[in-house]
Amino acid sequence: MFSLNNHLELRRVTISSLVTCIYLPSIVTVISYKGLLYSVGNASSLYVLVLIFTAELIKSFYLNSNNDLQVKKKASKNRVGDIVKSIVFLLGVKFCFFVGIILFGAPVLEYHEETLILSSLLTLLTVFPLIAHTGVELAVQLLFGVKTFPRDTIIAMLVNNALLTVCGAWLGAVVIPLDWNTPWQQWPIPCYLGAIGGYLLSNVLTVTKVTLMSAANKHPFLSIFVNMMNRLHISK
Amino acid sequence: MKEKWNFILYLVWFSYLTLSAVLMFGQGFLLSRKTLNDISECVSLENFGCDGRLNSSEKFSCTESSKIQRILANSGSPIVCATKSHRVVFVLVDALRYDFTEYNTDNKNPLFYQNRLPIIQKTIERYPERARLFRFMADPPTTTLQRIKALVTGSLPTFVDISSNFAAIEIQEDNVIDQIVKGGNEAVFLGDDTWICLIPGRWLRSHALYSFHTWDLDTVDNEVDSKIYDELKRNDWDLLVAHYLGVDHAGHRYGPNHPEMARKLTETNTRLEKIIESLPSDVILYVVGDHGMTETGDHGGESKAERTAALFAYHSSGFSGDEADRQSGKEVQQTDLAPTLSAALGRPPPAPSLGNLLFPILPNMPVAHTLLHLNNNLKQVTQYLVRYGEESQQISLDRLAQLINATRDQIEKGASVETEDELKLYISNVRALMDNIRNIFREVWVEFDSLSMLRALLLLLLTVFFNWIITEGIPAERIPHVFASSFVPSGLISMAVCVGICYTGHYFEIIDDLGHAIILSTGLISGAITCVLVIMHWDGITQRWYEGRSQFYERFARAALFASAAILVSNSYIIEEGATLSFLSLTVLGLMAWNIGNIKSLVLWAGFGVVMALTRSYRGCREEQGDCWTAGEGVATGNASRAALVIALGSVAAVVAISRRHVEWRGYGIVIAGIFSCAHWAVGWGSLGSPSRSKMLARGAWLVIVTMFVLLWRRDGRGATLPLVVSGLLFYLANTLVLGASFAPTAGLALLSGFLALNIVSMLKTEGSIKFSLTTRCNSSMACLWALLASYSFYGTGHHATLSNVRWAAVFHAGDPNYTSFGNIISVALMFIYLFGMPLLFGATVPLLALWGRNGASTLGPRTQLAAVFSLCLKFALCFAIRVFACALSATIHCRHLMIWGVFTPKLLFEVGSCTAALLGTLIGATLTAWHIPNQTRSS
Repeated sequence: MFSLNNHLELRRVTISSLVTCIYLPSIVTVISYKGLLYSVGNASSLYVLVLIFTAELIKSFYLNSNNDLQVKKKASKNRVGDIVKSIVFLLGVKFCFFVGIILFGAPVLEYHEETLILSSLLTLLTVFPLIAHTGVELAVQLLFGVKTFPRDTIIAMLVNNALLTVCGAWLGAVVIPLDWNTPWQQWPIPCYLGAIGGYLLSNVLTVTKVTLMSAANKHPFLSIFVNMMNRLHISK
Repeated sequence: MKEKWNFILYLVWFSYLTLSAVLMFGQGFLLSRKTLNDISECVSLENFGCDGRLNSSEKFSCTESSKIQRILANSGSPIVCATKSHRVVFVLVDALRYDFTEYNTDNKNPLFYQNRLPIIQKTIERYPERARLFRFMADPPTTTLQRIKALVTGSLPTFVDISSNFAAIEIQEDNVIDQIVKGGNEAVFLGDDTWICLIPGRWLRSHALYSFHTWDLDTVDNEVDSKIYDELKRNDWDLLVAHYLGVDHAGHRYGPNHPEMARKLTETNTRLEKIIESLPSDVILYVVGDHGMTETGDHGGESKAERTAALFAYHSSGFSGDEADRQSGKEVQQTDLAPTLSAALGRPPPAPSLGNLLFPILPNMPVAHTLLHLNNNLKQVTQYLVRYGEESQQISLDRLAQLINATRDQIEKGASVETEDELKLYISNVRALMDNIRNIFREVWVEFDSLSMLRALLLLLLTVFFNWIITEGIPAERIPHVFASSFVPSGLISMAVCVGICYTGHYFEIIDDLGHAIILSTGLISGAITCVLVIMHWDGITQRWYEGRSQFYERFARAALFASAAILVSNSYIIEEGATLSFLSLTVLGLMAWNIGNIKSLVLWAGFGVVMALTRSYRGCREEQGDCWTAGEGVATGNASRAALVIALGSVAAVVAISRRHVEWRGYGIVIAGIFSCAHWAVGWGSLGSPSRSKMLARGAWLVIVTMFVLLWRRDGRGATLPLVVSGLLFYLANTLVLGASFAPTAGLALLSGFLALNIVSMLKTEGSIKFSLTTRCNSSMACLWALLASYSFYGTGHHATLSNVRWAAVFHAGDPNYTSFGNIISVALMFIYLFGMPLLFGATVPLLALWGRNGASTLGPRTQLAAVFSLCLKFALCFAIRVFACALSATIHCRHLMIWGVFTPKLLFEVGSCTAALLGTLIGATLTAWHIPNQTRSS
């Protein structure tokens, strides 16, 4: 996946994934120890989204830090415009997620608050890092397949994260119909946790892959595993 | 084009294999019992003369007992009403296991369910002649509904009690309550409303409470408590039934070993104490549990813990019987309660009862009366045996004749009994005979035929497996050659040979069960022939599998279908299957749209999603879906509201108006049928409507639809697409008619969803530059998507896989068909279209998946077209066969599950119906295609 030549980028990818692997589980652990895990669907749990937002923003600053020289000149002109545009775009994506979730079977007339929280989380985990990294125009082009992206880049990692997040949320819905009557089967907790799980899994996979690749440099037999992991990836 | 009709024949063959295997499974699995409408009659003693004959002319008077003696001597006399009757309080404590009632003083650390009912032991110790405590053995299925039926009828209820009327849950047979009402006595009911559903309208007073929420431990019990003591003070009733639910609910929620159970049992103890205190002296008290529970608090199966309930009886004037009868913990059967209760109330046993009289819990009576009761019991059982033999062949005639002779012998012997000792011997003889009879019926009614179930599963597996290899393995270009060869004819001939051999064997009495032998032999020989085919084409199959690369959406679609089949082993997914299927089909279609990757497909997909969301408001409810059910949404009202009528008219008008331009001259027929059905609803609507005219209009609509269907077979040499579309529209109109105005829009929504899916499918990318690619347009993901949609539409049109959700109004929308000479066929056909019209519609339109669109197969040569259509049809049929197999397998696995009769079996029945409809639909579609595809002059 990633070439070992571009050491800087590789290090960024690894460190940002590692940070995710640390901060997301800690958030989940803290709120579950506080006994708030089953209230993640309510608006009162907005602080979780804010925390994730901040973390992703910091990560994207870190990921972008080398393009500073080229970007700064352009960006400084209409920074405000960019931010407004991306907020509008994010709201649009959030609305699309909202409608999509309802189409997939979420209650139509009630639980809007819960569905909105879930769609905000999905937006935050999928589209937001992409926009923060590339800017609105490029993100739109990527989303609609106008522009293709090379496989071995940060963008590829972000797209993979997004796909696995959506898959996780999709899989989370599996437990809802079961008649176990547990508190965590409440809408939208399984999907919410599923999305977080999918995102986490994607990051863990990235870290593992990078580790294996660097190990395979010394021990060539490990490259089998690297190939296997590459094949596992969802290819369009 | 030799293969043209071979394709159709092969589909017929496949359908036969699937359905015959399912039939065989059903014969082994669906224990059925014929319900008879007979009612026990008894003749009052006064109508007998002293010579023991009815309406005798002899006028001299005699004592009662000598009269009875004479009657007994006359073995042909009718059942005689008992002279003395008592009042009875019948307290049903749901799930009262026998060991809950035991009291052991040595036990220093009792568990939560032990030693909680000291009152029972105390009463027995203080008044040994007044109280009895027995083990009350239930027969499986140990679910409350079946148990109540058993308690009041004295029979062994099965899941399918075949009767004249499937719809009502109401008991169709004679029972204790009916007997009481018939005798001019009164009954009062307090407690769970299951009783009122089973036996409505017979009660003097009833206070029934809805009780689905198994987590609610107290409401029903408190309500019953608030009434029962007042009722005990009154004396206008002869039978007081009280049903307490708390113990059962505590078991379901917490299990027996829990403080809550201790609380409920202690409550029961104080309750019993109070009831015994305030019981009038002439009243008999029976406290029974209808079943026990396992260590986790569940019931429904046949384990000892579930079957052992308790029976406590109390009568302040004392019971008959000696020391041996009095012994606590003796095992008695639950079937015995109905005749005993009837005898206590002075009525004959209910007609279907197979129980003994339990004299230890009946009050003391003279020998003559005891004999009279026994005589009544024997006569009733003899009558039942005779009638059951007339109506059903489940038990062989020789065996029945033997039993009938034995009972008649006993009746005759009864006359010679005089002393107490003789009576005792006689009672035990009768008991042994009755036990024997009950065991014989139990074998037929309660035990599964596991051998034929396993054979059927094996046959189904064989069919599914080899056909799966044929459709997925044999390369598409070889298919026409395979079917042009002698494969299908040789298969059919070998099946005919099998049938011939079976008949010969049956003729020479080597084979007993002809039906099973034919199904088994034809299934096995078909498996062998398809296996040979697979072996012959193994090179092609391995090559295709080696080279084959499938897209992600294809793999996912297959996985989704398997998932939709696999989750049928879980009751919660069956209950929520509508949502699951819509979720899966939406995802499959979404991945296809993702694969196409343009805005148009995305918009179509979103439209599809909106259609699915709209059908959600029509989806029905079942009892297990607590909230939705109690909100009253599960109850379908026959009358459409004004808005529903407008929507129905609008939907039909829109479909007709849009489609008529595109189907040429056939459009006129569609328009006329549409106008007829709209007029049918509009004229019949509300109180101002005219039902008779509305029914005439419906008949007109059916006439047009049938005529159009016949006209479909007019060849016009322009390909099969148009006739297929028209057949889809005709099925749509037929569906709207049977669904009625309030559910008609759902048929339109289903049609629309199919149309949108079809358009997305026809946009799928094909490899390379070829316009039409067999591998893309005919791969299994299309069939899987279509099967998921067809299965969903069953739920989308407001149905649910429970027998109680079936609305029977569909049969009568065009007048009562029973007035015509072939009314039975018409009502079955209407009901079939009503329930499974959607799989029929989707089945008939399967060929469109290959033919539809600009790059569809309709531009290609007829051979390719036919092969494509055939492989799609077979795949679609296979999808349903897989689902049926999963259902049958889960029914086998769960055959002792708590919800087997409530969830799994209805699902199996409805899935079989859907499968039949889908197979029939594919046959229609494939035949239409084969009929309309122009004959080729020379092979390409």
